[in-house]
Amino acid sequence: MSLVQIRNLTKTFRKGDQTISPLAGVSLDIERGQFVSLMGASGSGKSTLLNILAGIDRPTSGQVLIENVEVQKLSRTKLAHWRSANVGYIFQMHNLIPVLSAYENIELPLLLLNLSRADRRRRVEIALEAVGLTDRADHYPRQLSGGQEQRVGIARAIVADPTIVVADEPTGDLDSETSEQILNLLRRLNLELGTTLVMVTHDVRAAGVAGRQLRLDHGLLVEQLQPVGAA
Amino acid sequence: MLRFVPYILKTLWRHRARTLLTVSGAAVALFVFCFVQAVGDGVRNLNAQGEADRTLIVFQANRFCPFTSELPEDYAPQIAKIAGVEKVIPIKVYTNNCRASLDVVVFHGMPPEQLREARAFELSAGSWEPFQKVSDAALVGQNVARRRGLSPGMPFTLGGVTVQVKGVFKSAQPSDDDFVYTHLDFLQRMRGRETVGKVTQFEVRLATNVDSPTVCEAIDDLFRGGPVLTDTRTKGVFQADTVADLAEMIGFAHWLGYACVGLVLALVATTTVMAVQDRISEHALLQTLGFTSLGIFSLVVVESLLLACLGGAIGVVAANLALASHGVSLGTEAVTISFEPSLRLILSGAAVTIAVGILAGIVPGIQAARAQIVPSLRAA
Repeated sequence: MSLVQIRNLTKTFRKGDQTISPLAGVSLDIERGQFVSLMGASGSGKSTLLNILAGIDRPTSGQVLIENVEVQKLSRTKLAHWRSANVGYIFQMHNLIPVLSAYENIELPLLLLNLSRADRRRRVEIALEAVGLTDRADHYPRQLSGGQEQRVGIARAIVADPTIVVADEPTGDLDSETSEQILNLLRRLNLELGTTLVMVTHDVRAAGVAGRQLRLDHGLLVEQLQPVGAA
Repeated sequence: MLRFVPYILKTLWRHRARTLLTVSGAAVALFVFCFVQAVGDGVRNLNAQGEADRTLIVFQANRFCPFTSELPEDYAPQIAKIAGVEKVIPIKVYTNNCRASLDVVVFHGMPPEQLREARAFELSAGSWEPFQKVSDAALVGQNVARRRGLSPGMPFTLGGVTVQVKGVFKSAQPSDDDFVYTHLDFLQRMRGRETVGKVTQFEVRLATNVDSPTVCEAIDDLFRGGPVLTDTRTKGVFQADTVADLAEMIGFAHWLGYACVGLVLALVATTTVMAVQDRISEHALLQTLGFTSLGIFSLVVVESLLLACLGGAIGVVAANLALASHGVSLGTEAVTISFEPSLRLILSGAAVTIAVGILAGIVPGIQAARAQIVPSLRAA
C-alpha cells in the first residue's frame, strides 16, 4: 500500500467574481522513500497540492490518506499534532526564526514532541551533521549565507524524522551553485536516509534530481514519462 | 509552555526599544497604582485601629481644629467616675499645620507615666528614662525622625516649640509615627500659648463589653451645664470625621488607580497586537511545525503576561521601596494618614499586573491563533 494516497482532490476558491479551481480531481500515489518533483506553470496549483499534503491547507473535496490517516478529516488541533510528528516542511524563503540560533531553530519541532533534552540534543546534532553545519550551530540566521540558511531549514524539516518531507521551491531563492548543493543534499537525504520527499519547483534542472517527476496542468496531474532534464 | 519561555524572552529582546517603553509605562502606572492604594489603605487603617471602638476622644463641642479646643484638665477625674471608663488621659495637641499637608508634625503632650502605659510602641533609638526625667524631652515618631533627620540627643524646633529628642519610636499604628510625644505640662507652658490647666482632648479607655455610644452620651451629658461643652466620639469616628474631606478626595483618587490599570491594559495590549502583526508569518511557521492554535494563543498570552509582569514588578517594588524609605504621610487638623508599604499592597499590585497581562493578551492571542497558515505564510 502506498504511503500517500490522494483521490479526486479538488480545491476551489473565489477571487473577486471568479471561481478558481487549481486542483480539479487530482489523484496520486507516492511510495515510501520516493523523491517526487512537482512542476507546473505559476498558479497551476502545485503549492496548493503541496500544502494540502503537508496538512496546512484543506481540500474542497477528495481524500488525502497518509499512512492510513485521512488527513482532511482531522480537526485543527489533531492536524497540528499530526503535522508535528509526520511532516517536515522546507520553505523557499527558509523561514528561520531570527532570534534563535541554528541549533535552536532546528530544535524547535522537537520541543513539541515528548523528548528529553538529551534526546533532542542528539537528534539536532545528527541533523546538523547531515546538512554539514555542525560548526554553525551557534550562529544566528543573520550570520549565515542563503545556502546555509536553507540547510538549517532542511535540518529542521528532517530532525523529527517525519513520514514525509515537502519542499516548496527550496532553491528558488538561491544562486545556481548553492542550488546545486541544496539539490545534492536533498538527493543524498532521499538515498541515504530513505526520506520521502515531495518538491515543488519551477526549475527543470531541479526537477530532474527527483526520481519521479509530475506536472500539474489545468488542475490535473500528468506523469512525466520522459524524466525532465534527462534529454 | 516553559520550554518556549526562552523563545518568548528572545522575541521581546528583539524589539527591545518597544519592550523597554512598554515595561517602563507599565512600571510607572503600577507605581502610581500602588501609591493610590497605599493612600486608601492609610485611611482604612486609621478607621480600623484595634482600639478605635474602645477608645473615646473627648473634644470641645463645635470645635474642629486642635488649636481651638480647650477643655479644663479637671474634667478628667469626673470622666473617670463614669461607669465603664477605665482610664482618662489628658492630651494637649500642637501642630505646625492645621491644613492638609504632606509634612505635618503633631505634638502630643501627655503625662509621661500615662504615655508609657497607653502607647504600645517600641523605641528604635534612645530610652524612656531620660524622656521621663527631662521636662522638655520628646519621643519622636520614626517618620518624623526620617523626614527631619532626627536622632536622640538632638534639639528639634517647630513653630516656636523646642524639644530635646530622647528617643525615636515605631508604633504598631502607622499614623502615630508622625507624632512627637512630650510632657503634658511642657506643652501647656509653651511660650505665647499659656494654657496651664487646659487640654485639647481627653483619650478615654473603656472596659470591655461597654457600650461606647452610651458612655459618649454620658460624658457629654455630664458637662452639659459646665463651662465648656464636650463632643465625645469613638477614636475611629473622631479620626474619620477629621479627615472626612481628605478621605473624600482620596476616594476620588481611587479612580486614578483604576485609570492606571486601564493604561497598563491598553499599553500592553497595543504592544502585543503590534508584536502579533509583526510575526504573522512566524506564527504561521510555528503552526506548520505543529503548534496548535491553543499553543499559539498561549505563546501570545505569556508574552503579554511577561511584559506586564516585568513592568509591574518594577513599579510595585519601586512604590513599596519609596513608601518605606520616605515615610510619606498626609495630615490635617492633627490627624495623620500614613502611607505604608505592605504585603497587601504588593499582592494587590501583583494581582492587578497578572490580570492585566492575561487580559491584554487575549484578543491578540485569539487573532494569532485563528490566522490561516497559508495566507499568513504568503504575507511574509
